[in-house]
Amino acid sequence: MKPLVSIVGALTLAVGLAACSSSSSPVTAPTSSASAADSATPVTITMWHGQSDDAAKAIAALAAQYMKENPNVTINVQPGASNTDDLKQKIAAGFVAGDYPDISYAYGSWAGVLAQSGKVLDITSQIQDPAVGWNDFPAAARETATVDGKTFAMPAVVGNLAVIYNKALFDAAGVAYPTNDWTWDDFRTIAKKLTNVDKKIFGTAYSVAGNEDTTWHMWPLLWQNGGSILSDDQQTATFNSDAGVKALEYLRSLAVDDKSMYLDQTGEKYGALFLDGRIGMQISGPWNLYDLQQRKASYGVVQLPGTNGDHQTISGSDIWALFDHGDVNRAKAAFDFTNWLTQPAQDAQWNIALGNMPLRASEKDTAAFAQFVKDYPGGEIFLANFANAKQPRPTVAGYDEMSQNVGKAIAAVLQGQGSAKDALDQAAAKSADALTS
Amino acid sequence: MSLLRAVEIEEPTSALPKKKGWLPFSGWHILLMPIALLFAVPLVQMVLTSFMTDAEINSFPPKFIPTSINLGGYQQFLTESLAPRWMLNTVVVATISVIAHLILCSTAGYGYARLKFRGRNFGFFAIVATIMIPTQLLMIPTYVMFSKLGVVNTLAAAFIPWLTSAFGIFLMRQFFLSLPKELEEAGMIDGLTSFGVFRRIVLPLAKPALATLAVFTLLNSWNDLVWPLIAISNQDNFTIQVGLTTFQGTRRTQWSALMAGNVIATLPLIVGFLIAQKQFVATMTFSGLKG
Amino acid sequence: MSVSVDVVSSPLTVDPSDRKRQRRTQKRRANVTGWTFVGVSTFMVIGLSIFPAAWALLISRRKWNLLSPPKDIGWKNYGTMVHDPEVWAALRHTLFFTALFVPISILLGMLIAVALNQRIKLVGFYRTAIFIPFVASAAATGILAGFVFEPNYGSANDLLRRLGLPTQPFLESPTQAMMVIVLIALWGQVGFTVVVYLAALQDIPKDVVEAAIVDGANRRQVFRYVTIPELAPVTVFTAVWQTITALQLFDLVYTTTRGGPIGSTTTLVYYVYQVAFQQSRFGYGAAVSYGLFALTMIVTLFMIWYSRRTKIEAF
Repeated sequence: MKPLVSIVGALTLAVGLAACSSSSSPVTAPTSSASAADSATPVTITMWHGQSDDAAKAIAALAAQYMKENPNVTINVQPGASNTDDLKQKIAAGFVAGDYPDISYAYGSWAGVLAQSGKVLDITSQIQDPAVGWNDFPAAARETATVDGKTFAMPAVVGNLAVIYNKALFDAAGVAYPTNDWTWDDFRTIAKKLTNVDKKIFGTAYSVAGNEDTTWHMWPLLWQNGGSILSDDQQTATFNSDAGVKALEYLRSLAVDDKSMYLDQTGEKYGALFLDGRIGMQISGPWNLYDLQQRKASYGVVQLPGTNGDHQTISGSDIWALFDHGDVNRAKAAFDFTNWLTQPAQDAQWNIALGNMPLRASEKDTAAFAQFVKDYPGGEIFLANFANAKQPRPTVAGYDEMSQNVGKAIAAVLQGQGSAKDALDQAAAKSADALTS
Repeated sequence: MSLLRAVEIEEPTSALPKKKGWLPFSGWHILLMPIALLFAVPLVQMVLTSFMTDAEINSFPPKFIPTSINLGGYQQFLTESLAPRWMLNTVVVATISVIAHLILCSTAGYGYARLKFRGRNFGFFAIVATIMIPTQLLMIPTYVMFSKLGVVNTLAAAFIPWLTSAFGIFLMRQFFLSLPKELEEAGMIDGLTSFGVFRRIVLPLAKPALATLAVFTLLNSWNDLVWPLIAISNQDNFTIQVGLTTFQGTRRTQWSALMAGNVIATLPLIVGFLIAQKQFVATMTFSGLKG
Repeated sequence: MSVSVDVVSSPLTVDPSDRKRQRRTQKRRANVTGWTFVGVSTFMVIGLSIFPAAWALLISRRKWNLLSPPKDIGWKNYGTMVHDPEVWAALRHTLFFTALFVPISILLGMLIAVALNQRIKLVGFYRTAIFIPFVASAAATGILAGFVFEPNYGSANDLLRRLGLPTQPFLESPTQAMMVIVLIALWGQVGFTVVVYLAALQDIPKDVVEAAIVDGANRRQVFRYVTIPELAPVTVFTAVWQTITALQLFDLVYTTTRGGPIGSTTTLVYYVYQVAFQQSRFGYGAAVSYGLFALTMIVTLFMIWYSRRTKIEAF
């Protein structure tokens, strides 16, 4: 009779090897063909939305409505994670466990790495259907949802960066409101004028948490200066060009020389401080409108300052990523539901109701949008600003790692450590591995 | 070697004669009072701030004492988050952890202390070796492992690591080793099996050690942050620590609510400490090895 | 004529194979009993520690973001680790923290314990006040510390202001942040060392102290030649324990500074967290964890060897 200890040991090893081996063998997800789908059979799909509070309620309500209209479909609605940032990790865990949803909310910056997993659903042919209205979406959203020519997601939330400013602080300092043709020099001058050290008021703010929030705020400046993030083949970093250095040095001048820029260590404070009336101008997106309305703040929205008349901005497009389970019915249900979600009638309840931008250009003629503009002043400026979003963020698999490297470089320079050129060069060198493999 | 006993530190035992100094009180107070205040004041401030309004807190110069008792912070924490649910979750996790620890560590501790069986030394050595392994090393594979087992995102993910521990087994074993063998031998002569001896003779004597083990497990499972943070993503299944940290993320400047959350999260343990001071202190002193 | 009574009631002539079989059965029963007692616990502890640790070694030889299948790259991660300036920075920060935290917590603990062992009033209050922060969780401590050290509204700067001293940025300064974290950690952990030393002090046999006094020793000499040597084993054990814990600092960094400002409080474990859970480089994260494990082992073994060399009987 074998000693019990070796049985215990063997059991442990067996569990381990089973677990190990299934994670090490390359898994290629089975692909679904659209032809064999049956719209009568009952089908259950799971959706992770990564939202909380009102947004979570809106999604749940919409899902309930869809289920009523399509009784054979059951949608299992889950948050998936406590906040959207953590959703990527949960999706990853789900892939490993073989237990992942059919639909998941995802940041646009994850598009590359999700597509690379091989587990995403290919809906390139489905979106050709004119009923979908694919071209109604902003170009940046369409590009984010498509990696290597294959579309795998529907747009979920779109926004862009503009400047939201506190009218009361402007009035108190006797500064005129910004106009559409303002420049970065104007921005700097205004920031200096609004800064009041005694009252602990800053002209503007910037997150130095070192993550994507830090990084993507610099991209519009890079682009306006004529630079690009990556080379054409997307294998080399080019953000450390003169254009990039100029952009970072500009930000540095506000932070270090003028001290008119509040540096937020966590990235979670500057929004709250703006609402508290301690920041004069923040470069941010439409997701602030909801809170601004709740607080009845006195604010204005204007497009980003320009460089030589170029007011280029960056558009963030979050997506509903679709995942493949090798089941044509599930694939059809997942696509149909997300497509339905993005149609104007539903989008009004999801995006517009929550103070986000409408997904479709055609929505600007709807009554819902007219009401939106009344409820959230400045919304129409964000919508018009989409015309300024000319380039998408790259959807390469190594984006997250590169983003952290750049974010840390920006954070260090803004806090007075190192020169812009050295910091960006280092970040580019560090990111080389992430971009090429 | 009695490693474990409820330490009676009521009576100072310094054998040194009381020194007649030139102060009306002992010179030690000059050292102890400022230190004690430094330690206690932040907690006192935490409680006081939880009763202030955000406007009061953000005023300059800062106020220390609230002008009136304002429950807005508590209201905000309890209604704008799933705090009551989180507290319930934490109580469930702590209770399961403590009960499991008591059962599993006492049996394993006794087995390793008194019973002779094949592989005993190997098993115990392996357990002691695990104490050296940093928990962060295990975080990634444990996360993957739990994903495969499907327990990620459930409350089980929070208490499974706390069902038993090398520390607890070590603790109980040390205690059982210190018991005089005669009692157990008498039991065996009377015809009791090992289980009988364990249940009827040894266990009743182990109450102080078990109490200490319970306190150690309660403290650690209640305060565990990082692992549940990584493993649980569903808000409904958060423990109070994870919930509090997540709550902080969206309300960075709303101090009254944050302090209220702090008080709610910490109060049970503080009350427990005040009631069961001896047991808490014994948790620490077991490690006062002298060889 | 006395007859020796055979306690074991067996026939005087026993078949040796029978006796062997009896012993085997007894042994088997003992094994089953033993493993019934320890089996579940042992399986769980090993399953949740040694097994994942071994698996982590496998993962460390891969490039894996969990979303796509892993890619085997041999020991490359370890090479990357050695050349990664952020790893060395994290190591510096961790060692800085450890070098400050461990000695201070021991000295302070010892000093306060001696003080609390004196026959003075208010001992109960002091003991409670110094120990209570120990039960506060990292989450609560982090939030509280963020409040106390807040440059504008916090009580720390308020105190400095009242004393006429210049206000400090504390957790928002790359040079001060780690030191502030040392202070916060001490606040929460000194209670532990105080209690350990208190118990040890009370274990010192009174007659040794009295003998020294009779021999003419004053308070300081008693402390130096009697108390401290008696406390040596406890000191070594506590030092090792605190060092291992200090090298793994994570919770407090996560709840206060998130590794900033400018990464000045990024410890090795926090770096692993960033690399693995934020950049999704799980293979590299596992490799850095192993690096930390190796470091912890080396430091611990060194401390044990050193204590053995100086003949302190702690291990």
